[in-house]
Amino acid sequence: MAERALVDRLNEVVDAIIARGDATAALRDPELATLARIAVDLRHYPSPEFKARLRVQLERRTTMTAATMAPAIREGFTTVTPYIRVPDAGLFDFLTKVFDAEETFSGHGGGGGMHREVRIGDSMLMIGEGSGTGGMMPIRPMAFHVFVKDVDATFARALSAGATSMGEPEDRHYGERSGFLADPFGNQWYVATPLRPESLAAAARAVTPVLHIEDAASYMEFVKRALGAIEEIRVPGPTGELRYGRVRVGDAAIELGEGVPMPGSFMLYVADPDAMYHQAIAAGATSVMPLSDQPYGRVGGVEDYAGNQWFFARPQAPTS
Amino acid sequence: MTPTTEDDRLLLEAAQADPARFVDIYERYVDRIHTFVSRRTGNRAVAEDITSQVFEQALRTLGRFEWRGVPLAAWLYRIAANALADYWHDRGREAHEPPPEVPDADEGGELDRRIALYQQVDQLPDLQRRVIRMRFVEEKSIRDVAAALERSEGAVKQLQLRALENLRKSMGGHG
Repeated sequence: MAERALVDRLNEVVDAIIARGDATAALRDPELATLARIAVDLRHYPSPEFKARLRVQLERRTTMTAATMAPAIREGFTTVTPYIRVPDAGLFDFLTKVFDAEETFSGHGGGGGMHREVRIGDSMLMIGEGSGTGGMMPIRPMAFHVFVKDVDATFARALSAGATSMGEPEDRHYGERSGFLADPFGNQWYVATPLRPESLAAAARAVTPVLHIEDAASYMEFVKRALGAIEEIRVPGPTGELRYGRVRVGDAAIELGEGVPMPGSFMLYVADPDAMYHQAIAAGATSVMPLSDQPYGRVGGVEDYAGNQWFFARPQAPTS
Repeated sequence: MTPTTEDDRLLLEAAQADPARFVDIYERYVDRIHTFVSRRTGNRAVAEDITSQVFEQALRTLGRFEWRGVPLAAWLYRIAANALADYWHDRGREAHEPPPEVPDADEGGELDRRIALYQQVDQLPDLQRRVIRMRFVEEKSIRDVAAALERSEGAVKQLQLRALENLRKSMGGHG
């Protein structure tokens, strides 16, 4: 009973502190005095959402500064482009129906299959269609966080295009209304609409790849070493695991989280593919494509210990 | 946890060479500047607005900042003090408010203690941390927190008590 009474007395003090900054009630209650002092200090606890939002604002300014100093490595692309490998053209049709994806390029890739470049909002994806019998880019589904204007409408379109619900759209405590889907090809789409226009999510690009991985906290350290990634957000879980994280690589973001591994492939447009390739190898990755000059530019690729593949490329200057 | 002058010099050099590294300065000092400002305004929205102004201005003037061995915190406090003076001036309060000064050693120690407390909040078990954030940052009532967490009001009050007791313990029992 005494414990219960303390719970209620403390709550009254906290109510007064939140409403009026007034902790005088606690001064007469020695059992509460030190707890009340902590509660008073917590009134000034900086909002994590505010801090993350301000950080994104500052980054945008610095990215804009950097962008004026160095032209885009490949126009229309950010540093990181997810490369999804699927057996046929079905995924492209799905993305067109659900996300109004537009094809910006199609042609035959090095392995003979179709290579497509697809724009969703302000983001690019590459799709390789082919047999998937091993090789450099085996068929593997990936996961994506996608921001759309109306999550409910997009979710419904996805279901009618053959996707399966992994979680109906709901308002989430992290500031977005989101629903989770698996497409018929095994890719996962976390479709979201920011709950408030000023929320952090509103500042994100349309599509951000999500890497599910075992021991995501260690993997975050790896991508910092291998790719020079910069940690943006780290949300630890109850036992210290990385529940959610986000890193920046160049001007692009990648989200990370603890989960059943879904290794993916990525094309990175960088000024110096040789330096990036050797840095990744030095961090423990293994080569899957030695550096070479191809008709489209210089490129080399590695696979890391978690099975993710990273291709570093500097496109050939266009000839006219 | 207090950054050393050598750390400051390295952070500044890195950010001046590559502005994208300014976020490292931001991460190191955002809690300190927010707490410094918040103590002087007592209003969360105003504190956030002024904290934003401080870092925006620091980024704009980064290239002109010359390293003379003065901690980066002093530079940021000075920008914050000017922003606070403007804030009070705009509200016609200059006659009543003493000019906001950068912290002396006593206040520096108090800011260190509060920042340590805020870092301990991040270490709380998930539900306790969410209760603290909803109560103190979002200023939600016990009823609203209970609804958001799908717990009873009694359970949320218990989580609130446990969280504050854990914070007291992690702060060495002195609160």
